[in-house]
Amino acid sequence: MAKKISAVDRARATAAAKKAGSGGAVGINKGVVLMVLAALVPFSLPTVVLVGFGMLPTLASWASEKGPNKYAFLCVGGLNFAGVFPYLFSLWFGVHTLDEAFRMLTDPIMLMTAYGCSAIGWGIYAGMPPMVASYLAASSQRRVNNLKAAQKKLIEDWGDEVSKKG
Amino acid sequence: MSEIDEAEVEIDPAEDGDGDDVKVEVVKQTGPPGVLRDRYTIRSNQPLPELSTPSADAFVAEDKRDPSRALFGLICKPELPPRVNAMRALKGVSTPGLMQLVEWGPMNWPPAGRQCMTVVYERPAGNRVMTSARSDVPRIDEYQITKRVIEPLTAALKEMDSRGVPHRSIRPTNLFYADSNGERLAFGDCVSAPPAFDQPVLFETVESGMCTPIARGSGNHTEDFYSLGVTVAFLILGRNPVAGLSDDVILGMKIQQGSYNMLIGDERLPLPIIELLRGLLCDDGEQRWDAEDLDLWLSGRRMSPLQPRGEKRAARGFPFMGKEYFNGRELSQAMSKNWDQAIPPVVEGKLELWLRRAVEDKDKANVVAEVVRMALNSTTDKKSSTDLMLCKVLILLDQAAPIRYKGFNAMPDGFGSALAAVMASRGDTRLLTEIILREVPRLWFEMRGEYQPDNSLMESNFKELRSYLSQTGMGYGLERCLYELNDALPCQSSLLGEEYVVEVKELLPALNVAASKRTDGKQIPVDRHIAAFLGARMRSDIDRNLTALSDPNQSVAMMGALNLFAVLQYRLGPESLPGLAAWVGVMISPIVQGFHGREKRRELEKEVPRLVRKGSVVEIYNLLENAEERVRDEQEFAFAQAQYAAAEEEIKHIITETEERATEADKIGRQTAAVTGIIVAMITASIVVISAVF
Repeated sequence: MAKKISAVDRARATAAAKKAGSGGAVGINKGVVLMVLAALVPFSLPTVVLVGFGMLPTLASWASEKGPNKYAFLCVGGLNFAGVFPYLFSLWFGVHTLDEAFRMLTDPIMLMTAYGCSAIGWGIYAGMPPMVASYLAASSQRRVNNLKAAQKKLIEDWGDEVSKKG
Repeated sequence: MSEIDEAEVEIDPAEDGDGDDVKVEVVKQTGPPGVLRDRYTIRSNQPLPELSTPSADAFVAEDKRDPSRALFGLICKPELPPRVNAMRALKGVSTPGLMQLVEWGPMNWPPAGRQCMTVVYERPAGNRVMTSARSDVPRIDEYQITKRVIEPLTAALKEMDSRGVPHRSIRPTNLFYADSNGERLAFGDCVSAPPAFDQPVLFETVESGMCTPIARGSGNHTEDFYSLGVTVAFLILGRNPVAGLSDDVILGMKIQQGSYNMLIGDERLPLPIIELLRGLLCDDGEQRWDAEDLDLWLSGRRMSPLQPRGEKRAARGFPFMGKEYFNGRELSQAMSKNWDQAIPPVVEGKLELWLRRAVEDKDKANVVAEVVRMALNSTTDKKSSTDLMLCKVLILLDQAAPIRYKGFNAMPDGFGSALAAVMASRGDTRLLTEIILREVPRLWFEMRGEYQPDNSLMESNFKELRSYLSQTGMGYGLERCLYELNDALPCQSSLLGEEYVVEVKELLPALNVAASKRTDGKQIPVDRHIAAFLGARMRSDIDRNLTALSDPNQSVAMMGALNLFAVLQYRLGPESLPGLAAWVGVMISPIVQGFHGREKRRELEKEVPRLVRKGSVVEIYNLLENAEERVRDEQEFAFAQAQYAAAEEEIKHIITETEERATEADKIGRQTAAVTGIIVAMITASIVVISAVF
C-alpha cells in the first residue's frame, strides 16, 4: 500500500517544484547579464564603472523585489537610467577614460542626479498604486450611484413590483 | 313633495232631513298615491277590503284617460312571487265569466316604501258571492245554475285554457256577481299570488291538497274543473257542507270517502246535477270532466254518473301512530306527516309484510323490500339513505301524490314558488337545497311509472339545477336555481334598492337609479343575485363572464363584470348611464392596477372620468380592455424587471469585491509605475541624443 502523503507535504513539494522551475529561468537570465557585463569589461571599463556605481539603486531594487514581475526594478531603473544617461552619453562622446568615469562618480551633482532620479522612481512606485486604487474606488462608486439612480427611475416608472424577481 | 298629499276618506255618520243616515266624507292627510304606467292612479287612502284577496290588498284605481271607469288595483305582497306570465296572458281579455284584467306592472307604492307588483281590474258590478267560507250563500237551483254559473264560468275556463293559463283560484269566496242583477257570476283574481296559494284544501284535488300551499304548482285545467265542481256544490247546497272541519280532516275524508261523497253525502240532488258533480269531483284526474264533457252536458247529453274507483282496501289495517290505515294513499299521507316515526316500520319490514299479506300486492311488496335493502346496504350517511328510502316508499304507496320529503310536499312545478317565498323571507333553504342535491324529483319522476313528455322536460331541468347548485361561483348556487325556476321573478338583489327588475333590459337602468342611493362606496354593482339573474336569463351567452366573475384575481373578476355591463348597454341600451358609469368607476381600480406602467395608469385615470360623465360603460370597457396594450405593458415590465435585477447584481458585485479590486489596483499601480519609469528613460535618452545631434 502506498504511503499516504499529507496535505502539508504535498503543498511543500508543489512550492519547491515551482521554485525550481522559475529558478531555472531566473538562473539563465542572471547568467546572460553577467556574461554581457563580463564581455563589456575589457572593451568599456569606464562605462561599466559609471553604470555600475550610478545604477546601484536599480540593482538594489532588483535584488529587493520579490515575485516574478520586477515592476520596481523597471520603474526605479528607468528613472535611474534617465539620471545617469546624460553623463554616460558625454562619457561615450567625450572623454571615454577611466579617470573621467571616476571624476564623474566623484561629482556630487552627477550622484545627486542619478540617485535623485532613482529616488523619484521609488516615489512613483510607492505612490502610484494608492492613486490607482483611489481612482478605481471613485469610479466604482460613481457606477454604483448611476445604477441606483437607474433603479430609482425604474421604480418611479413601474412601481415597487419591478424590484421583485419575475 | 311632487304631488299633493292624498286624502284619506273617513265615513262620518250624519242625518239628512228625513232622518236617514248619510255618509259624510272627512278628509285626512296621508301619503301620495301610486301611479302605474303613468296612467292608473291607485289611491292608498281608499282601500277596498271587500275586493281584497288573502294575498293582495285592494284600493280604488282611476284611469287618467277615463276617470269614470270603475277600476280597482290589487297590491301584491312583495314576499310572494305573483303569476306574471298569467298577467301577460290575461291582460285585456274580455270574457263573461272572468273579471277583466286591465293593466299590471311594478309600481312605486308609498305605504310600503318600495316597488310592488300591481294589478288593475274592472270593478265587478255586484258583490262577492260568498264573503267567507263559513258564511251562507244564496242557493242557486238546478234551473238557474247552468245559465248563471256553468256557462259563463266554463267559457272563462276555456278562454284561459286557450291561453295556456289555468285559474287555480276558483272558490265561492273568489266569485263575483258580474252584473247588478246577480244574473251572472265571474271569477275573481288569480294572478296576485302563486297558483292555488290562497285555496283552502277543500277546493283542491286530493293531490294538490297534500301539497304545501306555496308549492302546489301551476297545475292545469283539470284542477280548475275540480275546484269548479266544489264551488258548484256550494252554490247548489247554499252552504259549506264541511264547515268547521280542519284541512287534515277534510283531506282524510276525501281520501277515505271520495270528494263527492264527502261534499254531497246523502243530499238528494237532481240527476243531471249528480252527473255534473260526479264528473267534476272525480278524484281520478284522468276520468275527471273537462271542457268537452261540460259542453256535452250543457248541450243536454246525459249519461250515467261516474262511479269512483277507490283504491283496494286491505284485509287488515296497518297500525301507525295509534290509528289503522287500510290503503296506501291514507297510509302514505299519514307517514309523510310523521316522517321520523315512519322510518322504523318500513326498515323493520312491517310495511312489506302488510303489502304482501293484507293488500296482496306482491309486486309492490318486492319493490319496497328492494328499496329497503338498498338503503340499508348503502355506503352513504344512514340518515340520508333512510330519508330517500322513505321518499321512494311513499311514492310507491301513492304514485299520484306530490313529491313528499321530510314534511315538504310539492308538485315539481311548485318548487320554484316555494324557493322564491323562502328566499324572500330569508327562511331556511337547507331542506330545498337537500331536495335538489339528493335528486328527489328524479326519484319521483322515475317511480311514477307512466311517461309524460312534460315530466321529461322538468326532470332535465332539475338535473340542470343540481349542477348549478354544485357550483359555488357567482352566477350559480341556489340563487341561480331561484331564477331558473321562476322565469318572471324580479331580481332579488339588495343593490337594486326598490327597483323592480324582471327583464334583463331593465337591469342597467335600475342600477343607474340605484347608484345614487348606494351607501357602501366600495360595493361593486354585481352580487350573487344579479349574476344569477343574468345567468338564468341570458344562459350560455355569459358563461365566460360568470367564470371571470369568480376568478380570485380581482382584476380579472372586475373585467368580467365590466364586460358584462358593456355588452348589456351595447345590446339593450340606454346610451347614457352616468350613475352606473360612476359606480363602475369603483370597480376599475383593480383593472387599472393591472397595468404595471405608472404612466399608463395615469393616462387611464385621466380618461375614465370623462367617460363616466358621458355615461358610457361601453367606452370605459373599450378603454381598459386593450389586448395589445396589455401585452406591451407586460413585455416592457418584464424588461424593466430584468434591468433592475441586472443593476442589482452589478451593485452587489461592485460592493462585495472590494478586496479583489484593491489587489487589482495595486497591481495596476505598479505596472503603471514601471511603464512610467520606462517612458521617462526613453524620453530622457531621446532628448539627450537629439540635443547632442542638433
